[in-house]
Amino acid sequence: MSGIEVWLFRLVFVALVGWFASQMLTRYRLVMAGANNLSLDDVPGRVQRLVTEVVFQSKVIKAKPIVGTAHLFVFWGFCAFGLYTFVGFLQGLGVVDLSRRAWFHAYQAALVPFCLAVLAGIVFLMIRRGIARPAALGATVSRESIMIGFFIVTLMVTFLLEFFVFGHQASPTVAARVNWWVHMVLILLFLGLIPNSKHLHLLVSPLTLFLKSPQLQSVPNLDFEKEEVGFEALKDLPAKARLDAFTCVECGRCQENCPAFATGKLLNPKALILQNEAALLGGKHDTKLVDLYDENVLWQCTTCGACENQCPVGIEHTPVIIGARRGLVSNGEAAEYLTKVYNTLERHQNIWGPGNDSRQKFITSAGIDIFDPAKHEYLVWLGCAGALEADFQRSLRALFDILRAKGVTFGVLARERCTGDVAKRSGNEFLFQELATQNVDDFKAKQVKKIVTSCPHCLKTIGHDYRHFGFEAEVLHSATLVARLTGGAHMAADETVTYHDPCYLGRYAGEHEAPRQLLARFGATVVEPERNRDNPFCCGAGGGLLFEEHEPGKRISEHRYEQLAATGASKVVVGCPFCSIMLKGAAASANANTEFVDLMSYVDGKLKQAGARPDAGA
Amino acid sequence: MKIAVCLKQVIKRDSTLRVDDARTWVRDADAEFEMNEPDAYALEEALRLKEQHGGEVIVVSAGPARVQTVLREGLARGADRALHVESDALAQADAFAIAGALAAAIGPEQVDLVLTGLQSDDQGFAQVGVVLAEKLGIAHATIIMEVKVEGGALRVKRELEGGWFQWVGLPLPALLTIQSGINTLRYATLKGIMAAKKKEIRRVDAPAGVAPRQKIVSLYFPEKTKQTRMITGSPADAARELVRVLREDARVF
Ligand code: SF4
Ligand code: SF4
Repeated sequence: MSGIEVWLFRLVFVALVGWFASQMLTRYRLVMAGANNLSLDDVPGRVQRLVTEVVFQSKVIKAKPIVGTAHLFVFWGFCAFGLYTFVGFLQGLGVVDLSRRAWFHAYQAALVPFCLAVLAGIVFLMIRRGIARPAALGATVSRESIMIGFFIVTLMVTFLLEFFVFGHQASPTVAARVNWWVHMVLILLFLGLIPNSKHLHLLVSPLTLFLKSPQLQSVPNLDFEKEEVGFEALKDLPAKARLDAFTCVECGRCQENCPAFATGKLLNPKALILQNEAALLGGKHDTKLVDLYDENVLWQCTTCGACENQCPVGIEHTPVIIGARRGLVSNGEAAEYLTKVYNTLERHQNIWGPGNDSRQKFITSAGIDIFDPAKHEYLVWLGCAGALEADFQRSLRALFDILRAKGVTFGVLARERCTGDVAKRSGNEFLFQELATQNVDDFKAKQVKKIVTSCPHCLKTIGHDYRHFGFEAEVLHSATLVARLTGGAHMAADETVTYHDPCYLGRYAGEHEAPRQLLARFGATVVEPERNRDNPFCCGAGGGLLFEEHEPGKRISEHRYEQLAATGASKVVVGCPFCSIMLKGAAASANANTEFVDLMSYVDGKLKQAGARPDAGA
Repeated sequence: MKIAVCLKQVIKRDSTLRVDDARTWVRDADAEFEMNEPDAYALEEALRLKEQHGGEVIVVSAGPARVQTVLREGLARGADRALHVESDALAQADAFAIAGALAAAIGPEQVDLVLTGLQSDDQGFAQVGVVLAEKLGIAHATIIMEVKVEGGALRVKRELEGGWFQWVGLPLPALLTIQSGINTLRYATLKGIMAAKKKEIRRVDAPAGVAPRQKIVSLYFPEKTKQTRMITGSPADAARELVRVLREDARVF
């Protein structure tokens, strides 16, 4: 390289890298201005996730195998080209020229297959963006992506020319120099364009993914001593939420999987994250979050967790949504449908209203002992529904019968309060902590070590949220326990059913096999609905929306019911009291006579029918 | 408008109750307490009036130290300050004594309006409000379902029997006893609870002992009685007798 070329390159390099660095610095400062909420528990788990989700792109591939594989090619290609680019910079800046070394030639040869993989991948992705234009990606993203796509194609072509044509020439020709310059300038230009585009994910998503909580919907307790009240204005967003805003790759997976968006509500989790990004860059630090989004948006989230779980780059939506709800609830601005629930919870410590005597009546009539650690292995947690709702009481009776038949010892607490699920998810942190501390005190006083519950919401609240109150126990959903207890059972299949995975069981607890095992063991052939296992479509009840009677757009429950009905099965098996209420309601509005059975009632019914137990038919 | 709201602390509604040793009240040493529900509506109404017309809301309670919990709750929901007439003797005093204690606290405040719940969830005498109005020498109206402030006076809607209502006007200052369901209660907010910690609860001396006007003689659970009477005789006689018994003894029609 001539001296003039070197100086010219130094100039271009400093200008473009400087442009890149200043944009990055702006973002770095914005992230660091947020409260530090970066936690690093479970480092081995995080590293493992980083390997599977970044190196092997498991999430991207699982959701969309073909697109995901194309993306994997491009990603690996980028990594493989790292050293090549570095050597180019050293050469261009006049530091040292390694390009004629033998090892470099071997490295270049090794890059050829990567280069072809990148080309194949990027051409496929460009065709998809440019021609198929998936709705979830949005219009603007496509244009920008096409431009970046051309950049990448040019980079690959210039590499191939260098390796196959110009690299063999004894002295560099003008064409060879032009080729080199095109390659290097494009890389620098690309670098400069990265911070202000969705391609920033190239640089930050490994960090974002690493910092994502190992637990879905990780919303730490508010510290009242520090006068924390939730997120009111943009400036209250903590560091992770800010990093999330800059990481979003605008792929639209969250949007595609959101039950609220699918049924025509205003809420769109992708838009929410991008609104955060724009507002942060726009310096709207004092703008209230409700004004930034739309007031209604925040109350339309069922906290199903689909967005967060599907996001390939580690973005956490629910802490932002719940955090913003807290900011409103703390000021007395909760959605109207919540006021009544809060009053009921304050006065009666359950979500429905009847007094403890109703629960007492149920326990007495079911003949259940009060839990005694010396006598009982398990504490059965009834929950508001199990204690007070007639249909779910039947499911609890079924569980009691199964446990008794299997010789499992169990008892219940003399008094339960709501776990605080609705309060927690809807942002009433004060009420949640009131209920939680009292329940935790009871657990501790009774030396509770193992809890079984039929309510997936209680499962998440006691099993995960109560850990913040220093309570750790083995908390199981009844499906898990009963599947363990009935390992030997086998009945010939005599009916076809479909199974609805509750979000708080299939997605949050990752328990989607036990219910299917039980159904298979007890004579059912399961036909799967669209959206199942760890990515079910919500029933619409979560996050306090069980109490919302004026849902805008189509009802979420109706949408889910249609998916279940489309399986052709006339029986739907459910494992959550709230899913059951919602879906039954939807079936009734559709004038359908679909039969709904709770999982425990199903198993118990089959056990009794088969006379497999001494008290069969009782 | 300066409004005083009287709050009573009562035993939690779904508690398991036990009669005390003297058999004149329930054992409340280990009981859980809550704000009397009709009083919660009175407080909500006061807060709404303040939001509309400005002024101040003062919550007042008479009883032992434990009643401060309901005063705190009142402050958390938005009252500006609290008065506590503290005396252990007031825990079981009759309506006349309670009204006297409340009057001692409210009188010097020179308020425009006093609100109480229509009655208490425990004894349900519905007396404190009206006696208090007499002691303060102000007008009162009971069983209120709507309150309007018009030109320095009140127009209030009273609930009558059989789905009937009545609008009455009364001058200020006045006392109203508020019917449950008059409004929708607000929930306790975090901001309110934090603010309440900094608000004042002022202790007021209880007036010198008043001789009780009323005494609970005995307290017991309703006895479940089941009596079976066999009616014999020919079918016709038995039927005639059954009709007579149903009409005259059981009085079902
Ligand atoms: S949690 Fe569920 S409802 Fe809420 S934004 Fe995410 S996908 Fe939508
Ligand atoms: S938040 Fe995640 S899933 Fe949603 S568009 Fe952004 S990157 Fe995709």
